[in-house]
Amino acid sequence: MKARALLGVLFALLLIAPAAIGAYPLAVLILILHYAYLGIAWNVMMGFAGILSLGHALYVGLGAYVAAALYASFGLPALLGAVPAAVVATLAGLGIGALGFRFRVNGVYFALLTIAFAEFTRILFDHMGWTGGSSGFFLPVEHGHTNLIALRGPPILFYYVALGMTAAAFVASHALMRTRLGYAWLAIREDADSAAASGVDVFRARMAAVAVSSALTSLGGVFYAFYYNNMYPEQIFSMARSIEIILAPIIGGLGTLFGPVLGSFVLTLLGEGTTSLLEHFGLAAPGAKQVIYGLALLVIVMVRPAGLWPWLARRLGVGRDG
Amino acid sequence: MTDRLRPSRRTLIQGAAAAGLAAALPLRARAQAPALKIGVILPRSGYLAPAGQSCQRGVDIAPQVLSDLGHRVEVVSVDFESNVDLARTQAEKLIADGAQVLVGAFDSGGTSAIAQVCEQKAVPLVINVAAAPQITEQGFKYVFRNFPTSVMLVRNGLALMKEMFKATNVTPKSGIFIHANDTFGQANRQAIDRLFPTLDMPFKLTDAIAYDPRAQDLSVEVAKCKASGADFVIVTTRAGDAIRLIREMVKQRYEPKGIVSPGSPGMYDQEFYDGLGGYSDYTITNLPWPNFNAPITKRLGDAFAKRFPQNRFGVDAFNVGFTFEAMLVAADASKRAGSRDPRAIAEALRSTDIADHVMTGGTISFDAKGQNNNIGSATVQNLKKTPTVVLPREAATAKPVFPMPGWRGRQA
Repeated sequence: MKARALLGVLFALLLIAPAAIGAYPLAVLILILHYAYLGIAWNVMMGFAGILSLGHALYVGLGAYVAAALYASFGLPALLGAVPAAVVATLAGLGIGALGFRFRVNGVYFALLTIAFAEFTRILFDHMGWTGGSSGFFLPVEHGHTNLIALRGPPILFYYVALGMTAAAFVASHALMRTRLGYAWLAIREDADSAAASGVDVFRARMAAVAVSSALTSLGGVFYAFYYNNMYPEQIFSMARSIEIILAPIIGGLGTLFGPVLGSFVLTLLGEGTTSLLEHFGLAAPGAKQVIYGLALLVIVMVRPAGLWPWLARRLGVGRDG
Repeated sequence: MTDRLRPSRRTLIQGAAAAGLAAALPLRARAQAPALKIGVILPRSGYLAPAGQSCQRGVDIAPQVLSDLGHRVEVVSVDFESNVDLARTQAEKLIADGAQVLVGAFDSGGTSAIAQVCEQKAVPLVINVAAAPQITEQGFKYVFRNFPTSVMLVRNGLALMKEMFKATNVTPKSGIFIHANDTFGQANRQAIDRLFPTLDMPFKLTDAIAYDPRAQDLSVEVAKCKASGADFVIVTTRAGDAIRLIREMVKQRYEPKGIVSPGSPGMYDQEFYDGLGGYSDYTITNLPWPNFNAPITKRLGDAFAKRFPQNRFGVDAFNVGFTFEAMLVAADASKRAGSRDPRAIAEALRSTDIADHVMTGGTISFDAKGQNNNIGSATVQNLKKTPTVVLPREAATAKPVFPMPGWRGRQA
């Protein structure tokens, strides 16, 4: 009950935030919510079902390219283009999952498989002429009108879309965890052999986790495409993006519902805060931020290896799942 | 009141004259006009850091040089860490902090992200370096690029190769193209595939070989080049890979007539000279380069030497030149507009016409899409470990050496 009240307060604050803050904090909040959303999507696979993916940028990129190409070529609005984007990403995820789980490619080997798919998809898009190849794919700039269905409009539109997506993903994750499938994921995460011995269809449950996670992640890609209006294979499918996606849930707390959200807030604010502090004290030498940021992450991981949320949840007296 | 303190008639007349003169002076002369606030976004850390820091040196000397030219600017610099997401938030921050013009951002991805913000906020963005053609094809009204597109770069680069063959009376029989397989390298490959057959090049291109610029071993790629029998090598390198490529050529005693880049970084970086010593000599890059015969370039070079005695202007010239020019373009527009209002500056930018500038080429002006199409390229050959303009003749400070001497007798 206390957790719900706290969540309600946070959501209400985020709802009214644009009225009280300027354009720059709004841009930072959009970034926080975007990575919180992607973190929740990744958490379904790793946090709930124990499947390590280090190539989630693949689904971001596929979602972005499919929706953007459909919009640019056929005028299909973003919210409608999100459906085929999710289908394509889910099929890609299921293909990787089938390959991995059918042939018992588990753990770090499965992670390597996900990296390999993200990398060769990047190379594929680098050479695909009709999506601009390595020169990137650009959406036309449209001036002065707001259209929620087409995701065209000012940053405040994207803020509320990001907030809505994060809230919906949070609620969906919460609901999923209380289904038969959710319990199956937890059982597999703890011990796949025992879960199988107890009658859980491990293959199907894992495939379901991959499908849900890849579909959700691809919607984050759709958001990316229409928010930035341009995408380059080298950036959108990059390993660095995959790592960025997983940082928030790891720092926030793997397998928890609120961990990815908290992690995204902490990481983004840590980054921006460090930049501001260094500028304020005239110490903004190149690389100084990365050193401080890296040290801060090291301390967080060493002091709170299970993530920040389980510890904070205890301090606040709420359930660790938030 | 004593006589000493009482104003005399002469004093009163002098005072009245001074007051009249002061009233006649324009307001700007009496109280110094506020400076134009330019926000600069560059990748000063992350994988693009060397280039970003090189550009930053241009930013650091710009206020003084611009002041000497009659422009007052205040610069706020931010680092987007070679991260597109941060490029966008940093642009928002600069505009929120009162920047009236943005300059940046060396990288096409980062520049595209910043352009979105500038368009939404109606604040002009003057691009210093970013070659993706689509940036000025998206319909932006507040984006101005004083830098060639990748297609322009390659077209100029190939044209200068022909000019060099003509100037030296030596033409290779066959060439091979070896390039990094990243975004820039692939874009160059596409441009060469498209342009090479249309430009009536006097040699045939036998093959194109892609490589990972992060790879430590390029022996296979160089062996392929050697086996092809090509006596001319076109390269698109990024940084350290250029050093590894030349080292491997030396090791395998592959001695083509020339090693030429149609506009990529790598072969005019300080690391290239430090890493290769004498082997760096005679390699060529065809790219926009400062016109060292122009007075403004000399002024910029002097300011650079004074501020950064440990760096060589000749090496940083490309990044420093374009970054300074972007700031000059912004300051010039603000001055002509007589305003620091971003919309007024954007309007003035559309009628930019700057003849006296740093880089080779015609006057700086922008077409309806915000692209400057008058940027020329120069053939920059490494001579005595210094990038030296050898073509075109009007900007040259030395003659081209082609074919290049063999590796024997040179020292690393």
